[in-house]
Amino acid sequence: MAKNYAFIGLFGSGKTEVAINWALELKKEDEKVAIIDGDIISPYFRTRDVAEELEKMGLVTVYPKGALRNADLPIITGGAIGYLSNQDYKTVLDVGGEENGVVVLGYLKPYLGDAEISMVVNIARPFSSTVDGIISAYEQLRRVVGIKVDYLINNANLSYETTSDLIARGEEMLAKVSELIDIPVKFTVIPDFINEDGKKFKYPIFKIKRFMRMEI
Amino acid sequence: MAERVLVKGTEAIGEAAVRAGCRLFFGYPITPQNELPEYMSKRMPEVGGSFLQTESEVATINMVYGAACTGRRVMTSTSSPGFSLMQEGVSYMAGAELPAVLVNVVRGGPGLGDIQPAQGDYWQATKGGGHGDYKLIVLAPSTLQEAVDLIGLAFDLADEYRNPVIVLADGVIGQIMEPVTFPEFRDPDTLPKHDSWALQGAVGREKHVVTSFDIDPVVLEKMNFELVDKFERIESKEKRWEEYKLDDADVVITSFGTIGRISKSVVEKAREEGIKVGLFRPITLWPFPYERLEEIVKGKKLVLDVEMNMGQMLEDVKLAVKDNAPIAFYKRMGGMVPTPEEILNALKMELGR
Repeated sequence: MAKNYAFIGLFGSGKTEVAINWALELKKEDEKVAIIDGDIISPYFRTRDVAEELEKMGLVTVYPKGALRNADLPIITGGAIGYLSNQDYKTVLDVGGEENGVVVLGYLKPYLGDAEISMVVNIARPFSSTVDGIISAYEQLRRVVGIKVDYLINNANLSYETTSDLIARGEEMLAKVSELIDIPVKFTVIPDFINEDGKKFKYPIFKIKRFMRMEI
Repeated sequence: MAERVLVKGTEAIGEAAVRAGCRLFFGYPITPQNELPEYMSKRMPEVGGSFLQTESEVATINMVYGAACTGRRVMTSTSSPGFSLMQEGVSYMAGAELPAVLVNVVRGGPGLGDIQPAQGDYWQATKGGGHGDYKLIVLAPSTLQEAVDLIGLAFDLADEYRNPVIVLADGVIGQIMEPVTFPEFRDPDTLPKHDSWALQGAVGREKHVVTSFDIDPVVLEKMNFELVDKFERIESKEKRWEEYKLDDADVVITSFGTIGRISKSVVEKAREEGIKVGLFRPITLWPFPYERLEEIVKGKKLVLDVEMNMGQMLEDVKLAVKDNAPIAFYKRMGGMVPTPEEILNALKMELGR
């Protein structure tokens, strides 16, 4: 098991949901788990928007505190480096989408240690709906960060319209990508409202609860 | 059925514009709509269009004015303070009868405001934020699919009436992710050419003049009267709204945009508790569907208007409802979005339950 984990991907790939759920997964084994909101792109629907909920669940949330929480500024708080370096904490880093979002990972590179880097892919998104699209997104992100991507994650989803067929199509496409760029698939994400035990799927399944929601 | 894709609101609006045949986009960054110009900067070169990031919103709106003079489909997007900066140009465009689509992803205000969702620009959009006698057609989407559909409609209405059209969204519509189906691509060459008035090269014909002004007051007044005739035509033909579970309702919620969407959940929750609530959601904020709302509220126990502002659409609701039913109002401001539960509680308080 790595000490640090980072999730990268295009806009809307579902990095934040995967990162939060992964932190909660780590929490099952480890007492001390921190999640860093390193999203300098999205103005809301970020980890910090559900910080209180996550704190109640025992996670340490790392983001600019006080008034700066809502500032429209690309701030990475010093605490990010602290938790990435602190060997007592398992730390999950959630960065913003696209090449501008992933810059944060480049900036934190000296502190990442043996971090496991995963690229989250949603094939229902316009720019990652084909094998070529996914590979070009991968090349683009990797070029900016200058870092090795360890895993791919299949997060094929249409929000509340997600079906298990769509998820299976995501697996097929990611299998091809995985073969071409020689990066394994870590898991397939299944939202909690889909009742699947995993037999239908090729990769290990990872059940997630959705946190970024409008109650509407 | 065409393919469903998961998109962010800003992308939904951008792609819908491209498919509607928009090939000219000018914009300046402001949260919470930055992904829209970013999307257009990527997309316009792919479809042979032009994207330009301007030095300010004042420059933007004047570039939109210039581009609209050619009769081609042009769009810009901004958020509240940016739209305030554009008002002089918007007034000039309305006066010069120029078709264009203006997207305002509304944030908190007044002044700088925060970057959260709000609806405080209703008056500015519907009552004329700039100077002089003019109206803009104002469309308010409550879902991303509706945003996609209304962008297409906005371009069609702008062309038909030679008038700027606003798509009044808010931070939620801008930032939320939802599945949508996009329409087919319109071929820009098959769109209205406007060659009876547009500036497309005067070789071999009389020159065209696009202007909001005539130095002779007699002529200027005639231009004003023509504009008023046009606005009356729009009022008689273009009112749009949604009615939801109103047939057996005792209470009517009125709301637009994001709150219209949240209000649907309120309708469902209220009905679970045995309170018959329905929703009237104006889609065109101008022209406002006064007559239909008046008809609907007759004999109702209560009209509850809900907005993320101090009560701006409320004035139009009052003009429509008159003394046909009591009106209550529930508001949040400053970027705060009400939950369905709090709206339901406000409704129950008003009903004395």
